[in-house]
Amino acid sequence: MSKIMTVDVLSSIKGAQPSETVNKLFEVIKNANLTNNNSFNNNHNNSVSLNELRDDIVIPSSDLEKQIIIENFPKEKNGYLVVSKVIEE
Amino acid sequence: MDSQIHKIHQQLVNQDITCTALVQSKLDALKPNTNHTVNALLEEKALELAAKVDAKIANGETIGLLEGIPFGIKDVYMVQGTLTTASSELLKNYKSAYTATAIQKLLDAGAIPLVKENCDSFGHGSSSENTIFGAVKNAINPDLVGGGSSGGSAVNVAKDYTVFSIGGDTGGSIRQPAGYNNVYGLKPTYGRVSRYGLMAYASSTDCVGPIAKSIEDIRIVLNVMSGKDVKDQTTYASAEITPEAIKSSDTIKTVGYFKNFIESDAIDSEIKADFLAAIEKIKAKGIAVKALDFFESNTLVSTYYTLAMAETASNLSRLDGTNYGNRIEAENLKETYAVTRSENFSEETKRRIVGGNQVLSQGFSDEIYLKGLNLRDQISENFEKDFNEVDIILSPVTPSTPPKIGDSLKDPLAMYLSDAYTVGFSLGQLPTLTVPQGTATGLQITAAKNNDELVLKFANFLKDTI
Repeated sequence: MSKIMTVDVLSSIKGAQPSETVNKLFEVIKNANLTNNNSFNNNHNNSVSLNELRDDIVIPSSDLEKQIIIENFPKEKNGYLVVSKVIEE
Repeated sequence: MDSQIHKIHQQLVNQDITCTALVQSKLDALKPNTNHTVNALLEEKALELAAKVDAKIANGETIGLLEGIPFGIKDVYMVQGTLTTASSELLKNYKSAYTATAIQKLLDAGAIPLVKENCDSFGHGSSSENTIFGAVKNAINPDLVGGGSSGGSAVNVAKDYTVFSIGGDTGGSIRQPAGYNNVYGLKPTYGRVSRYGLMAYASSTDCVGPIAKSIEDIRIVLNVMSGKDVKDQTTYASAEITPEAIKSSDTIKTVGYFKNFIESDAIDSEIKADFLAAIEKIKAKGIAVKALDFFESNTLVSTYYTLAMAETASNLSRLDGTNYGNRIEAENLKETYAVTRSENFSEETKRRIVGGNQVLSQGFSDEIYLKGLNLRDQISENFEKDFNEVDIILSPVTPSTPPKIGDSLKDPLAMYLSDAYTVGFSLGQLPTLTVPQGTATGLQITAAKNNDELVLKFANFLKDTI
């Protein structure tokens, strides 16, 4: 997206502004000294090997699970989820 | 204190008490709820499960060690059919469709869930004041905060409302409230316990862990929850920790501590003096003590919050009133999302989402987010070097004692800095245990990755030493 987006738009929070307190935290990072610029993201210990990927299988939900999921949707009409009007832009 | 789990198990087996009476007494204690620890009581289910345990005992059947033991669950865990609110306005009516792996393992072992516990909304806070259910009051002094974000869980254990509780620790959310309420709280090695069914805050540091009154109870609950889970591919297989393995501390020869934590101007003078006195007692037992260099507290806190905010902005983007939560309708979908999120998130959560989107956005990501990732790697490398020289790192849990209720909300920076001693170990994904000894808010014991056993071993040593 070429358009510059403000933080309130990025965050979907009306009128949100950056916080002074949080900016102080970011300043510390900006000014921190890195001893090694090449060490970006070396911490790969939690990555999953290809051999360990789980099987791509469909596990059906139980009836109770389905019922609770339906209960959680705030708006329902004739058994369907009601979505707000789609943005036209 | 001795193991509460063993004691209650024996009472049940000997039929000195019934499980129903035990569960009812805990529910009766939780109901008045003057410490604001309860988001929802699971009364009906708990009594139904207790009756089954009683029937089993009456039939002469053997029961497992955790069978019939009442416990509490921080309200960020999915437990099928229960409200899982994350103490937030947005999810106050949200019902879990499934059960978190860690909780399911406890249920399979026969433990009885009593309560969904109050906490900072989405884990965002270090005081458990950032909640729609009222600020959690400290178990020792109700004018003070319960600590966060697993405040309700720590207070329930401290007040004996639950035998143990399951908290969640991202930057210190188990260890800090455990310290504020004088109980044990463990953040296991990242990946030892499955995060499946824990509401995601910052996925790279979120950990499931127990809070209890004894090392033995921490050990029992940790063993049950640990293990590889196909539903969380960051989990790994771990060996069971036996009671014998943590009895003797002969293998621990050297303990380290970070100089800059103790020499800092920010540390309370009493906590500093108590910490140094604890160090002297350890030396007197013939263990070598080494002062270590580490990153400045400000760098640790800033690195942690930068990464945690980036992850929470991403994780919470699904909470928009359409996928999850209370929707507030507006003229179109975009406005609906914006109004829903503006009205339903707390100020602290919004501050973190906005901060996270700032660092992930063009122009900021290189100089802040990517640099933060780089700093995290350096912090991890630093730990690896340290653990070539020392077996254990000891530190205070917090630089000061718990604040009064209301103070943290007025000063977010002070709240972030109260995590100065806990966040570093989270970034390193290291096992760290709060023990209720040594200073007013306890001590933290840390070992290298996957050395949770060593942490418990040293805790047993400290129990007899200071």
